[in-house]
Amino acid sequence: MGAYLMLITPGVPLLGSFLYTGVYDVPNFGFSCDGWFTNLTPTDAYRGAGRPEASYAIERAMDLLANAVGVGPDEIRRRNYLAGGGEFQDLETASTLVFDSGNYAPNLDAALALSNYDELKAEQARRREAGDDRQLGIGLCTYVEICGLAPSRALAGLNYGAGGWEHALVRMLPTGKVEVVTGSSPHGQGHETSWSMIVADKLGVDPADVTVLHSDTAVSPLGLDTYGSRSLAVGGVALSMACDKVVDKARLIAAHQLEANPDDLEFAAGAFTVKGSPDKTVPIAALGFEAFTAHNLPDGMEPNLQEQVTFDPPNFAFPFGSHVAVVEVETSTGHVELLNYFAVDDCGNQVNPLIVEGQVHGGIVQGVAQALWESAEYDEDGNCKNPSMLDYLVPSAAEMPSMELGFTTTPSTSNPLGVKGVGEAGTIGSAAAVINAVCDALSPYGITDMEMPATPHRVWSAIQQAQNGASA
Amino acid sequence: MIPAPFELVTANSAVEAVAALAEHGDEAKLLAGGHSLIPLMRFRLAAPTVLVDIGGVKDLSYVNDGGDHLAIGALCTHAQVSSASAIVADAPLLAHVAGQIGDPQVRHKGTLGGSIAHGDPASDLPAALLALGATVVVDGPNGSREIPVRELFTGFLETAIGADELVSEVRVPKTGSAPWSFQKFNRRAQDWAIVGVAAVNNGSLGVSLINMGPKPLVAAGVEAAVAGGASAADAASAATEGTDPPSDLNGDAEYRNHLARVLTERALSEAGVA
Repeated sequence: MGAYLMLITPGVPLLGSFLYTGVYDVPNFGFSCDGWFTNLTPTDAYRGAGRPEASYAIERAMDLLANAVGVGPDEIRRRNYLAGGGEFQDLETASTLVFDSGNYAPNLDAALALSNYDELKAEQARRREAGDDRQLGIGLCTYVEICGLAPSRALAGLNYGAGGWEHALVRMLPTGKVEVVTGSSPHGQGHETSWSMIVADKLGVDPADVTVLHSDTAVSPLGLDTYGSRSLAVGGVALSMACDKVVDKARLIAAHQLEANPDDLEFAAGAFTVKGSPDKTVPIAALGFEAFTAHNLPDGMEPNLQEQVTFDPPNFAFPFGSHVAVVEVETSTGHVELLNYFAVDDCGNQVNPLIVEGQVHGGIVQGVAQALWESAEYDEDGNCKNPSMLDYLVPSAAEMPSMELGFTTTPSTSNPLGVKGVGEAGTIGSAAAVINAVCDALSPYGITDMEMPATPHRVWSAIQQAQNGASA
Repeated sequence: MIPAPFELVTANSAVEAVAALAEHGDEAKLLAGGHSLIPLMRFRLAAPTVLVDIGGVKDLSYVNDGGDHLAIGALCTHAQVSSASAIVADAPLLAHVAGQIGDPQVRHKGTLGGSIAHGDPASDLPAALLALGATVVVDGPNGSREIPVRELFTGFLETAIGADELVSEVRVPKTGSAPWSFQKFNRRAQDWAIVGVAAVNNGSLGVSLINMGPKPLVAAGVEAAVAGGASAADAASAATEGTDPPSDLNGDAEYRNHLARVLTERALSEAGVA
């Protein structure tokens, strides 16, 4: 844990603890974890926080199991998926968590198809037979993660010290524009864009007419933040629910002014219309002004069109996905090159697919970085040996192939939008996929494990050891 | 990360720079692109009291045709060296190597002369110039003199350039279409080589090693082996003769020795040694 506790230092392994059985049908499960204070830099939540460790453990284990029983890594996974790999909802798992939804086998199939898995296998076989210096490794990871933090009661069980709700307020302004206050605090995740799209979809207004206010306690006093891939699944859902309440109130004003029964009004494309009388219609943007002047509101109605919702989700969300890493290991030097990376993620319904892709790209690079480049190195006295960006190797675009992404869509049952979360999925899937690929490439040497990061020196040393052991 | 105090003197010509060096003695250092000196000063591994800024000198940035060689001004940046058409055509190894240094920002600030004068055993350009058998021209209070690059590097970050001298020009033999190779082994594109090998086969073979000892090294054993008719594989086994590679986070000395042999064999093959 390092020398002292940071925000959620001991909470990180607990968050991962529920996921060590992964996407698999495991009847019994126990978890224990010892935390140790050391004289090193403290640890804390980093993209994925606990779940990359869990997926790494189970996904490495699945490959070892596949080798032990003599079936392919795809087949061992397929045979052990929860619900037989078919679609499920609200499934209780051995760790007592209820997975909201899943449909694992089709997701794996999509990733195998995207990667031309069979062709990769054939190329690998060719290189092995030819004794090529550059051996091909193909690594799978089929992860599930827990996000959308969180039901506040569940956080109580983790001694979390805060709730898991999120707050949203929607104001229909007299100008016809919409102002939104969100408790989620984006710092690059694109909430201004996605939240505007949710509001535009719900209220039938132009996304450009929506202003998203955030990140200032004087403006948005209620909110818990952006972390744990929760913003959309909690904050975005709160916003959509607040929009529903705005529509409900606006419906009463529209019915009053159109002299119709509220139940006889249809709301579509941003306007209320009396069923069967298309000329009797009023846009919701105009009702903001009506609510503001309050000249002609139903008896007893408060002026202004402004609603708020605090959403405390009933359950987490459990995104999943199948990643395929293709590496080339140069056996004469130990150098590992990531040739290609395929990822098919399922984060439920998507609001903005471009932002989803961006999140997956960034997450994958961070996970690959752990597998191949990044590590904090200390000497025996606890001095960090690589405390600058010169020696702590964060990869750049030059080291990454162009990733190929695909998606399946299995809506969540944890919220009315059916959304999950995708901010951390990339890191949760990629470290295991890459190390599985490295081990796959080295399997002819009898090498079954590789410590991260798989540096050239480390990989070369493992090959030397395997060869010397074989000749001894 | 804050350098020790220093006085900044701006030189507008090579003559002014040499005069400033003469005035301030060995407390002064020349500042060109600053990509080696400034980090050393920030870590206080160097603390010159006077910096003579030659970054604005206009007359040391050129590529001239010298007949059998190219005359390259010392203030040419790596980007200029990598893209100058004369260098690309007549000394392609040098152009290629310059294009592999750091990242684009580094290549647009760092200079050829600066890299030579710094003499870092992990730098790429000294190795390229060793393989090519280049000559360095230095200007001092008593005029100019030539130093063969193979006699230039004397120890860790030490060269035969006097404290009162300025690298003004590098003369690189034209190699035309002679086969060459540059093998740079690193973990990220922008990093220094863990080990590197430069080779050019222009009638006789020149081979040099990056990061295999305290200074930029000629692989003399390899050159001699090839001259004696050895195959690429056999000659490569001599790559570690006279080396003293460092051990660090990227690999220990044994691994570097192994890499030197592997990369040398590749370089020799690519440079047309059977």
